[in-house]
Amino acid sequence: MGASLETALSQPRAAVAGCGAISATGAGIGTLADALRDNRSALRAREAFAGKRYQTTVAGWVPEETIAQLAARDPEHADARAFLMADAALREAARNLPTVAAGRRALVLSTTKADILAMERVFHRQPCSRTAHRHILPRLLADDLAAAHQVRGPVQCVSAACISGLLALQQGASLIERGAADVVLVAGADIVSHFVLAGFTSLKSLDPEGCRPFDKSRTGLSLGEGAGAVALVRRDLLPSPVWTIAGWGSSNDANHLTGPSRDGSGLVLAINRALQRAAVNADGIDYLHAHGTGTLYNDNMESLALRAVFGENVPPCSSSKGIFGHTLGAAGVLETILCLLAAQANTLPGTPRLVECDPVAPQSMLLQPQPATRLRCMLKINSGFAGANAALVLRKEQA
Amino acid sequence: MSDIVIKAACWLGPQGFGNDQTGLRDWPTPLGEALRRGELEELRWSELFKSEAQRFARMDWLSRLGLMAVELLDVHFEAREAKDLEQTGVCVETAAGCLTSDAEFLRLPRPTVFSYTLPSTVIGEICIRHRFKGPMLCLISSGNSTRTAMDEAAAWLRDGSAKSCLCVSCEAVSPDAAALLPPDLALENTWQACALLLGRKSGDPRECALGNDTLTETCRHLCRATRRC
Amino acid sequence: MEALIDELKGKIISALSLEDIKPADIKTDEPIFGTGLGLDSIDSLELVSLLERDYGILIEEMSVAQKAFASVRTLAEFVAKNRKN
Repeated sequence: MGASLETALSQPRAAVAGCGAISATGAGIGTLADALRDNRSALRAREAFAGKRYQTTVAGWVPEETIAQLAARDPEHADARAFLMADAALREAARNLPTVAAGRRALVLSTTKADILAMERVFHRQPCSRTAHRHILPRLLADDLAAAHQVRGPVQCVSAACISGLLALQQGASLIERGAADVVLVAGADIVSHFVLAGFTSLKSLDPEGCRPFDKSRTGLSLGEGAGAVALVRRDLLPSPVWTIAGWGSSNDANHLTGPSRDGSGLVLAINRALQRAAVNADGIDYLHAHGTGTLYNDNMESLALRAVFGENVPPCSSSKGIFGHTLGAAGVLETILCLLAAQANTLPGTPRLVECDPVAPQSMLLQPQPATRLRCMLKINSGFAGANAALVLRKEQA
Repeated sequence: MSDIVIKAACWLGPQGFGNDQTGLRDWPTPLGEALRRGELEELRWSELFKSEAQRFARMDWLSRLGLMAVELLDVHFEAREAKDLEQTGVCVETAAGCLTSDAEFLRLPRPTVFSYTLPSTVIGEICIRHRFKGPMLCLISSGNSTRTAMDEAAAWLRDGSAKSCLCVSCEAVSPDAAALLPPDLALENTWQACALLLGRKSGDPRECALGNDTLTETCRHLCRATRRC
Repeated sequence: MEALIDELKGKIISALSLEDIKPADIKTDEPIFGTGLGLDSIDSLELVSLLERDYGILIEEMSVAQKAFASVRTLAEFVAKNRKN
C-alpha cells in the first residue's frame, strides 16, 4: 500500500473553493451557519401531507417561500424542483471559481430519487413540464445541470442510497487527482415526497416527533430535503490555506439489506480506508460528523464502529440530522458543508434534539456547540441501505 | 494500466446468455420467446444455476439480473479468502436504474418493493451473497453504455483501494416503467445484464487485456455475442 | 377460523414471495418467525403492510405485531378480533 499512497499524496489535490445550500433552514449556507450557531432544529410538520397515515409529516421541509423564489427566478424550471434546488446550491458554490476551459470542468450529481415529484405527477396524470419529466431520470438531471454550468468535462451521476453524497465528493476528488478535471462541481439533491414518506412509513423507521440522534429514547429518523453543492478545485489554483478532500473510503457490510451489520465492522472498514488514504491516524481527527439518523439500529451500530476505530478516544462528535433531517442523496454534501461552516466559525457543532445521550454513544458526543481548540482535520461518515458505508477526511492545508 | 486485466466476462439478455469461456448460448425454447417478449418472471435462477439463491423471488429484477450476471462469470468466489473478498469492490452502472421498482411502488406501496427503489440495492445483494466488502459505487449512466464503471474500477485497482472489482451493468425496464419515461427518450421496454471481473495480471490463461471499449461492448465482444443483443 | 387460517397461509406465501412453499408446509401452531421459513425483519414489516391493506388493521408498534406473529393461529385470532374489512 505504501507506494500507491505516496503516489496519491503527491497527486494534485482537490480543494474546496465554495459551498452552496438549500435546506430546511432556507436558502444559502448562511442560514445553515445560523442554525449551527443556535443549535436549532428546522424540522416541522406539514399540513399538506397530513391525513395519509404516514407515521409523521415532521421532516426537514424546504420552506415553500424558498421554492417559490427559486421558481420565480427561473420560470423555465418552475416545476422542476430538484433542478431548482441543485442549481441554486451550485450557483452559490460556484461564485468565485478560477477560470478553466469548459472541458476541464466536471460535474458529479448525487441523488436517490431525483425529481420524484415529477414521477408522481406523471404517474397520476397530472400536469408536468417536459423539463421536470426528464428529471425522473437522475442522469438527465445531471446532464441539464452540467449544461447550465458550462461543464464540458466528465459528468457523473451517483445514486447509492444515503452514502451518495460522500461518494460524489470522492468522485470529484478522484477526478481531480487523476487529472481528468481541474474544477468539479459536486451537488447532492433530494425531495421529501409522498413516495418517500410512504416508503419510510412502511419500514416504520420515522420518529413521529422528530429524530433524536444518539438519544437514549430515540425511536427513528426524520426525512429531509434540499440540495448541497461543493465546488472542488485543483488545489494549486487556489490561495492558501484551503480545505482539501484528503482521504476517502467506502465499503459494504455484506450482511443485510435494511439493517446495518451488528458490530459496525463495515463502517470501520470505510473509516480506516479514508484515514489510510489521508495518511492520518485516528488521533489526528479533531472532529467527527456522525451519520446519526436517530434510529435505534444505526446509532447503535455507529457507536460500536467508532469505539472500534477510536477506542476510548472518540474525537468530539455530533449529528446534524436534528437540524434538517436525513436528506438522503444530499446528506453527504450538506453535512460536509456543515463541517466546513463549523471550521469557519471555529466552533464544534452540537447535536440539536439530543436531550439525554444513550450510554452506548461516544462520551465525546456534543449536545451543545463548543469553541474548538483545534479544527484542522475532520472526518465525515454516512451509512445507508443495502450495507453501504462511506467516510471522508477533510484537512486544512497551507501552501 | 497494463497490469489490470479482465479475469472473466459474461452477458445475459433476450438473445441469450454466456460468458467468455462458453460464448453466447441461445435460451431454450419456449423460454427464449417469453424472454424476448420481456416476460422476465419466466427466468428462474434454477434455469441457469445449480446453486441456491436466498430469497431470489423477493428481489426486484435489477437485483436478480445483477446477481445472475455475477454468478454467470463462473468465478468461485466462495473459495476465496475472506481478506480477499474484503478487498473486492463492486461498481454498478445502470441507465434506467430502479424505475421498474419505482413504478411498482407507485402502484402498490410495500416495504419489500421500497427496498428496491434504490439502484444501489443490487450492490447490497451482490455483496451479501459473495461477502464482498470492498469499495462500492453505483452510477446512473446515459442511455448508451459508457466506460465510467470500468474507469472507476481500474482507478481503485491502481491506487490499491481494491484488489479485484466487479463491474456490472444491468437494465430492467418493465412496461409500467417505460410508461413513466419522457416520450422522446430511447430507453426501451427491455432487460439486459453483463459483468466483468477486473484484477491484477497473474498469468491465468483466462485473463485478457483491458481495452478502450465500453463495458457492454467489452462483455459482448468477449462473450462472442456478435448478434445485436 | 380454519378458513381464515388457510387464507392467511396463502397470503403469507404470496406477500413474502415464498416461491417453494405450499400452505401445507406452514405449521399453524409454530412460530412464523425464527424457524424454517428463513424470514427476516423486512418480512415482518411486509406482513404488517398486508394486515393494513387486506384487513384494515393499522399497527403502529412492532411489539403488537410481534405478539400477533407468534403463530398463524394467533395471527388469525388477531385478525378476526381487529379486522375492519
